[in-house]
Amino acid sequence: MSTLTPPDTSPASVGDAERRRTARAEDAAADKRQRRAKLIHYFGMPLFLALVVVLLYFWVAGQELDSIETRTLTLDNLLGQTQQHLTLTLYSTFFVLLLAVPLGILATRPRLRRYAPVVIGLGNAGQAIPSLGLLALLFYLFRTQAALPSTGTFPVVVSLVGYSFLPILRNTMVGLDQVDRFVLEAGRGMGMSNRRVLGRIELPLAVPVVLAGVRTALVLNVGTAALAFLFGGGGLGETIFAGFQLRRTAVLITGAVLVAVLALLVDYVAGLVEEKLTPRGL
Amino acid sequence: MSDVTNADHPQARLGDEAHLGETMIELQELTKRFPGQESPAVDRLSLKIPKGEIVVFVGPSGCGKTTSLKMINRIIEPSSGHIIIDGEDVTTIDPNHLRRRIGYVIQQIGLFPHIRIGDNVATVPHLLGWDKERTDQRVDELLEVVGLPPDEYRERFPKELSGGQRQRVGVARALAADPPVLLMDEPFGAIDPITRTRLQNEFLRLQDELQKTIAFVTHDIDEAVKMGDRIAILQEGSRVAQFASPEEILTNPANEFVADFVGTGATLKRLKLTRVREVQPSEALTGRVDEDRETLRRRFDESDWTAMLLLDTENRPLRWLRGTDLRQTSRALDQVGYRARATVEPQATLSDALEEMLLGAAGVAIVIDRRGAYQGLLDIDDIITSIQTMKDAQAEFYRAAKLADPESEVSA
Repeated sequence: MSTLTPPDTSPASVGDAERRRTARAEDAAADKRQRRAKLIHYFGMPLFLALVVVLLYFWVAGQELDSIETRTLTLDNLLGQTQQHLTLTLYSTFFVLLLAVPLGILATRPRLRRYAPVVIGLGNAGQAIPSLGLLALLFYLFRTQAALPSTGTFPVVVSLVGYSFLPILRNTMVGLDQVDRFVLEAGRGMGMSNRRVLGRIELPLAVPVVLAGVRTALVLNVGTAALAFLFGGGGLGETIFAGFQLRRTAVLITGAVLVAVLALLVDYVAGLVEEKLTPRGL
Repeated sequence: MSDVTNADHPQARLGDEAHLGETMIELQELTKRFPGQESPAVDRLSLKIPKGEIVVFVGPSGCGKTTSLKMINRIIEPSSGHIIIDGEDVTTIDPNHLRRRIGYVIQQIGLFPHIRIGDNVATVPHLLGWDKERTDQRVDELLEVVGLPPDEYRERFPKELSGGQRQRVGVARALAADPPVLLMDEPFGAIDPITRTRLQNEFLRLQDELQKTIAFVTHDIDEAVKMGDRIAILQEGSRVAQFASPEEILTNPANEFVADFVGTGATLKRLKLTRVREVQPSEALTGRVDEDRETLRRRFDESDWTAMLLLDTENRPLRWLRGTDLRQTSRALDQVGYRARATVEPQATLSDALEEMLLGAAGVAIVIDRRGAYQGLLDIDDIITSIQTMKDAQAEFYRAAKLADPESEVSA
């Protein structure tokens, strides 16, 4: 009896080995899950969008197309419009960033704080006007100014800027406001100048919120840019409208699906940028 | 000449003359009025903080203690009055340069969440334009000092640390450029009690080496007594109710307000201020284990003690023996009686000694030296006597103060 392995240690060690094996298996499984989640995170959306475009292609190819449809749905045509669409979106987002972020910073400085409601009000007004109405307003406004072109890229970009001003402005202000005031006090208390506090602490900490605003603005702009064709700005809106006016469903659907795909793609890329630019440690 | 505005308390003045060394921070008639408020938050506060001391601002919430502290580095700009640091009037110099010379620790710590621990600590060295080598060396040194091994913590982000660890980083960051002055606003306020005690003790040990001049705000009188070389008890408007050493404040509160604020536990708090070695222990009836049993019995019978303390050959307390234990012969002496517990070392406080007395069966505390050898006995009477002596000494001191200060109209 006494030569046997002491009974109290053997089950424990078996249990230990068992536990360790299960733990390892769980770790491996978790790793696998994590890798899979990462793959889906990075490649899920592009694959999905590619699939949608391919399905669209086969669907259109399976239809009997008349001469109008074949003329509208050429690759050259669609690519050109997509490029115009993207250009409009990117220009307007660039300019809105250039305007709304500094304004948001100014409006949150202690000295200008009291004007913040006015600034927010302006942004709200920009977004409250229907996008088509804003475009039309600008069109008529620019027509009276000889110096300004009333059609083409310029008025469309201006109106897109007006329309997507609010999300970026508001998110800049909110992003700056949500920075822990004690973090700022510590910075000031150690002798950082106001500019340094802004540049080294406030802005980096506001980046995630500001970028969320940029993402919203980009998606809004892709949608609104579909109206650009009305004022000679081009874009995928031309295809949609042609399909609508000529009662060609295939054309209409192609245009609409491409705008949606573009919006999702832009959102996806913006998401990656947001992830990249968000400071670590948050 | 007085270091206190409402100096109707002579001890404050005398304290000034008798004890204050070189002044490091001087506040002159410092006042802060916030717009839209009837009465000033801080009303003509004048105070001298001696070099190398911790001065604690303590008072009820809303008394203006934090505002007063934040005017020293001008996070809050004073409405009027002057701040003099190390002889230089800093009331109007560039606040950013001023602040780089003053360490600043706040309750919320305010570590930069997106910056690694090492670079958080290096904030002020970066501002001062230190080169990388010097900065890195200093950061590692400080993390070491506050008990966070640099190799393990330097590259972490604040959110990966516990509250206590973050506060250590906060202290390290404040000390980075070795400023002569530190401002601490309830630095241990948001930390659990056990960690707080540990951080307080660590900080006091650190201060023993560093000898910084520290203005420290708390609302907790116990913390004030523990941390302060000197305590300023503040009333509404930051008016100084009493500015004195913790002993003086506990023994002789200047007025009703101070007495109320210090609270009913003042005597118990005072016991924390006196060390066992400062009290004359009484003698016990002792016998050594290597002495003859008959000798011990005779010594016991001749005394009027009811028990004898048996010591081992190294004079360490072993057991309490009663008469019956000495008279029986069946068992060895170190096997009978009660074990002698309740021992205190000379550097323990009277508060510790009292606790031992209450826990031990004998109602006394045995004073032992570092090697554990018997030194004497403390009983409850010794503690009462020591409190009485403290009170008498203070009373004597104030009588002298009255005589020395004929302007004073307050009678003792």
